[in-house]
Amino acid sequence: MLTLRNVRKRFGNAVAVDDLTLEVRRGEIFGLLGPNGAGKTTTVHIAIGLLPPDEGTVAIEGFGPPGTPEVRRHLGIAPQSISLYDTLTGEQNLRFLGSIYDLSGPRLAERTDWALDFVGLADRRRDAVRTYSGGMKRRLNLAAAIIHDPDLILLDEPTVGVDPQSRNSIFDNILALKGRGRTIVYTTHYMEEAERLCDRVAIMDRGKILALDNVPALLAAHGGSPTLVVETEGTHLRIDTGNPLEELNRLAASRPIGDFRVERATLEQVFLNLTGKQLRD
Amino acid sequence: MRAILALAAKDLRILLSIKAGVFFTFIWPFLVAIMFGVIFSGPSEPGSKIRIALVDEDGSAPSKEFIERLDKAGRFDILRTSLENATALVRRGDRTAAIVFPRGFGEAAGRMFYGAPPKVEILIDPSRKAESAMLEGLLFQQAAEGTQKIFADRSASRDMVRRALNELNSPAGPPAPQRESIGRFLGDLDKLLQSEPQQQAGAGGPNWQPLVIEHKEIARVRTGPHNAFDVTFPQGIVWGIIGCAMTFGIGIVSERTHGTLTRLQCAPLTRSQLLAGKALACFASIAVVEIGLFVVGRIFFNVRPTSVGLLALACFAVSVAFVGIMMLVSSLGKTEQAAAGAGWAAMLPLSMIGGGMVPLFAMPPWMQTVSQISPVKWSILALEGAIWRGFDLREMFLPCAILTVFGIACFLVGTRTFRSQS
Repeated sequence: MLTLRNVRKRFGNAVAVDDLTLEVRRGEIFGLLGPNGAGKTTTVHIAIGLLPPDEGTVAIEGFGPPGTPEVRRHLGIAPQSISLYDTLTGEQNLRFLGSIYDLSGPRLAERTDWALDFVGLADRRRDAVRTYSGGMKRRLNLAAAIIHDPDLILLDEPTVGVDPQSRNSIFDNILALKGRGRTIVYTTHYMEEAERLCDRVAIMDRGKILALDNVPALLAAHGGSPTLVVETEGTHLRIDTGNPLEELNRLAASRPIGDFRVERATLEQVFLNLTGKQLRD
Repeated sequence: MRAILALAAKDLRILLSIKAGVFFTFIWPFLVAIMFGVIFSGPSEPGSKIRIALVDEDGSAPSKEFIERLDKAGRFDILRTSLENATALVRRGDRTAAIVFPRGFGEAAGRMFYGAPPKVEILIDPSRKAESAMLEGLLFQQAAEGTQKIFADRSASRDMVRRALNELNSPAGPPAPQRESIGRFLGDLDKLLQSEPQQQAGAGGPNWQPLVIEHKEIARVRTGPHNAFDVTFPQGIVWGIIGCAMTFGIGIVSERTHGTLTRLQCAPLTRSQLLAGKALACFASIAVVEIGLFVVGRIFFNVRPTSVGLLALACFAVSVAFVGIMMLVSSLGKTEQAAAGAGWAAMLPLSMIGGGMVPLFAMPPWMQTVSQISPVKWSILALEGAIWRGFDLREMFLPCAILTVFGIACFLVGTRTFRSQS
């Protein structure tokens, strides 16, 4: 659905995206993970045609490069900052954004109603956005990205600063969009979101892709061995092993086992393993 | 086109949703126009003089004395000239009126209680009724003072009475039915003046009055404002337009800082459509300010354009100029505060020197020269040209062309900066 090949982008001396190649498949949720300044937002902006790459190519399947208005009709974006008109109502925001995507009349009304209902804001449609909570604004920001029913949706850290209820609602929305066959690029630095939502994840840092696969494969490849934790004769043993079951059997043959569990690597561990633990400000 | 209209409608909706924006864009200009109009249309200062042209065709001693008294009265700024020139001065509005002392004034002034009284003519625009009545009153006052002076002077009074007695039976004397009674009255008066040398006497008689004033109407060519609102409404319009340009210019910066510009740039819009939408919204707001102020001015304050077509042309040129300024303002800063600060810092002095606060015609010559650099000056000149300066199309061309070129140049510079900043 979206292909970036050997894309490079500099801002002065700083390399924001460095020879990046990736392919987002139709109908999947593709996670783009990275610490602050990794180049996620720049990659999204290049993908949607906001920024031209210095080198490399970007293509939307069936349409070509994303810079033209015709291709943009099929793209939707929820920018990282809430990009809405505060003094207008939720409905006015969506109607305006729908109209610049050539929606009008009953179709515009229908899409506006649907989008407000989809993000749970139908009852606040006539309130000015400035009166909304942070979570409501985030949900409306998502609604604004999908008002025109795009094929490819780019969500740039869509859950920053929202409460668990709104976050959960946004997750449900994203999964529902996937269920409708939409392709979603999801940037975040919340690992649990990527684990829960994404079919595949790319971990990037300093403008490069460090790893790209589905979550289990990433865990297997970069998470290290599982840890077998065993309680026996009043002590806790922690054993890193590639085969926890075999190790447990071996221990059980020689002593009584009170309790045991297997600790596997999380995506966060994978992330830290790949990007390091130094602070990124 | 639909996208451009949607963009413009959105911006207008945002403007209307911000109370301060509505006030400074639509209400403030009315207040400026009306407040200053009321102030400037108040009564003249007590010491101000009526500017008149004076024509002495008689050249007699009485006419010269009368003119001298007028001069000494301190109520007139007198220009002595020929009848032809005086008429032209009144027609152009350079002088409020002309007072003409025709031949025979002196001769008539020497008669008493009979014959045609002395006559002066006032040449004045018929619409200046108040000035005409005031002028008439002042002339009567001077005439009465002259008569009073004669009666206070014993020898002058006796000379006049004896001259009148001598002319009683001449063709220039009074009609036969009155001749006897006037003769008796003058004889008694002569005796009285001889016996009571210091006594003052009043004047009067059946057909006698100290002065007859005839009015001749000369329609003045309208080259000045009809009233103070003719001056203050263009100023109000320009303030409203400045408010529009600033509001929409800062609005573009807000789009950038609030991230909505990113969303618009991701939409299927070209940059030209995006900017056209902004320009259209600004243009529409300016048009609303212009039309609104003119309608109010026309209905309530007697602001009458000399040409509606030229007024429309002026409004269009002014709108183009300030849409360009709007675009330039948007490029003056990366934040709303920076753009607003820089925008007002530029617009206030331009407005001050351009006649936005003090009317152009009231400025000293050096300041009028400096004002050439201000778009506010050309805007006010264009609007005034269509309202009270009586510009024709050729005269209107210069300010309108300057405004249009200025607007396009500003728009191009602003657009270029917008592109680089985006």
